[in-house]
Amino acid sequence: MSALSAIMFREGKIRATNLTFIFWDLFYPLGYLLVFGVGMTQAMGMKPLEIGVGYNAFFLAGVLGMASFGIASNTAWSFFMDRDNGIFYEMLTYPMRRAEYLLGKGLFNLVVSIVQAIVTVVLAQIVLDVPIRWQSLPLFTAAVFIGTAGWFFFYAIFALMIRGNDVFNTVTSILYFVLLFASSMFYPVEPLPTPLRQLSWANPITWHVDVLRYATIGLGEPTHILLESAAFLVFTAISFAGALWALERQ
Amino acid sequence: MSNSAIVVRDLVKTFKRRGQPELRAVDGLTFSVRRGAIFGLLGPNGAGKTTTLKMLTTLLRPTSGHISVEGVDPVKDPFEVRRRISVVIQESAADLFLSVTDNFATFGRFHGLSRQVIRDRIEDVLDQFELRPEANRKVMDLSGGFKRRVQVAKVFMIDTPVVFLDEFSTGMDPILKRAIMQRLRREASRGRTIVLTTQILSEAEELCDDILIMRAGRQAARGDINALKLLSGGLYEISVTFSELPHAFDTAVAPYHPLRVDVTQNSALVTVREQEGRVLDLVAHLGRIGRVLRIEVSGASLEDIFIELTAKEREVLP
Repeated sequence: MSALSAIMFREGKIRATNLTFIFWDLFYPLGYLLVFGVGMTQAMGMKPLEIGVGYNAFFLAGVLGMASFGIASNTAWSFFMDRDNGIFYEMLTYPMRRAEYLLGKGLFNLVVSIVQAIVTVVLAQIVLDVPIRWQSLPLFTAAVFIGTAGWFFFYAIFALMIRGNDVFNTVTSILYFVLLFASSMFYPVEPLPTPLRQLSWANPITWHVDVLRYATIGLGEPTHILLESAAFLVFTAISFAGALWALERQ
Repeated sequence: MSNSAIVVRDLVKTFKRRGQPELRAVDGLTFSVRRGAIFGLLGPNGAGKTTTLKMLTTLLRPTSGHISVEGVDPVKDPFEVRRRISVVIQESAADLFLSVTDNFATFGRFHGLSRQVIRDRIEDVLDQFELRPEANRKVMDLSGGFKRRVQVAKVFMIDTPVVFLDEFSTGMDPILKRAIMQRLRREASRGRTIVLTTQILSEAEELCDDILIMRAGRQAARGDINALKLLSGGLYEISVTFSELPHAFDTAVAPYHPLRVDVTQNSALVTVREQEGRVLDLVAHLGRIGRVLRIEVSGASLEDIFIELTAKEREVLP
């Protein structure tokens, strides 16, 4: 337990030394929603989507999913920073298990992502009149928590296995492009061409965003959401095992 | 309880290399380190020192062989080994975004120290390492030497029974280095076991009471400094200063097949492996070919022994 709290203390200290980090962490998704979401709504003439909700309400879950994805990739990238500073290998000799290192590094950022998500949702309701289902707050919190953890473990595999920062950046750019656009993040999946639709259904971002969308505005079939939740849990477990394996190999 | 803090038996580490034969970085190494000893692991680059250290500190798994650190096997129970060691790795390692104090506080937390103990020990290491003026500065704003101080100072925050130092004095000024060496001696006298690697042989000569010289992954020599000097029996170092270096100097020395000749202006340092009588002949001969201002004959230094023991390795290098 002391190892976990020590890593969280370290991550917190690092984050707290830079106010830009904090501002970016807390308000980045809100900024995205205000600029991109409002822009799209205006461009489409304020009409609700065919599924019956306005674009701001639809895009809220996409923004939250994107924020989880972003925090996860930044946290995974910090393995590179630790390696560049030499502290990574020294930390591997500290009295902690590899799993504690991985979990501890993720945990602080999970807390940040939950605060970030709550700030975004509250302000989305106040500023953009998005009708939030507050009774689903526990599901919403779990979706943010597990979503960020899953993506962090997934990215950690690449951050630990790839030695070059430039290669990692290329890989994350490709993942961003494929995972974010072949998903339900920016638009409903149903009207998409068949190959893109099939790719989107197989994409864990779609599972994650759909659960967030159900939790925030109640959009989606409960059985379908349950299936997607289970699939994302499996994805998180596999990613954790993969990241742990990669860390053990260091 | 065994008197050995570290036991290594038939240790082997191989690395697969694409398109090249397998590299045997450590090749059947066996040694033990007495509790409370300052143990020096020496050898030229690529001898296997750092690989050995990485296996002892749970960073690498051995290919075969057995290791015990304070009675615990790092392969079977790496976590328990990590609770018993502190490590200064060869590379500069610090949390650059954190202040000096926060680096120490974080390290103390990892080792389970209470807040009060952390505060007290931070005060201690800030003074010991002359870091007080930098206490609140981020490590990223410090020079390389100061970063290294922060890294080494952390070891003195905690009381682990075994300390590993890989080239600890890199980038340190001589005064601080001496202070740390004294502190290391004190820690050893309290029963802590210190294992260090270094390329600076005078450092090992002064500090270590047990030395293992490695060559090509194997033990080339082992013992305290006196035993190593005995091992190199017949090795002499002649230091001579002429009023002017004689032209015949090289031809005078050549018949004694010197292992090393360093000439600086009118002075020369010659290392030979010869019978005592022959060494005296050489001294007399040097007196005949020029005006000698000063001459001194001594047993070999650790550096001479090191060069002799690792010479074969160097011969095969391109």
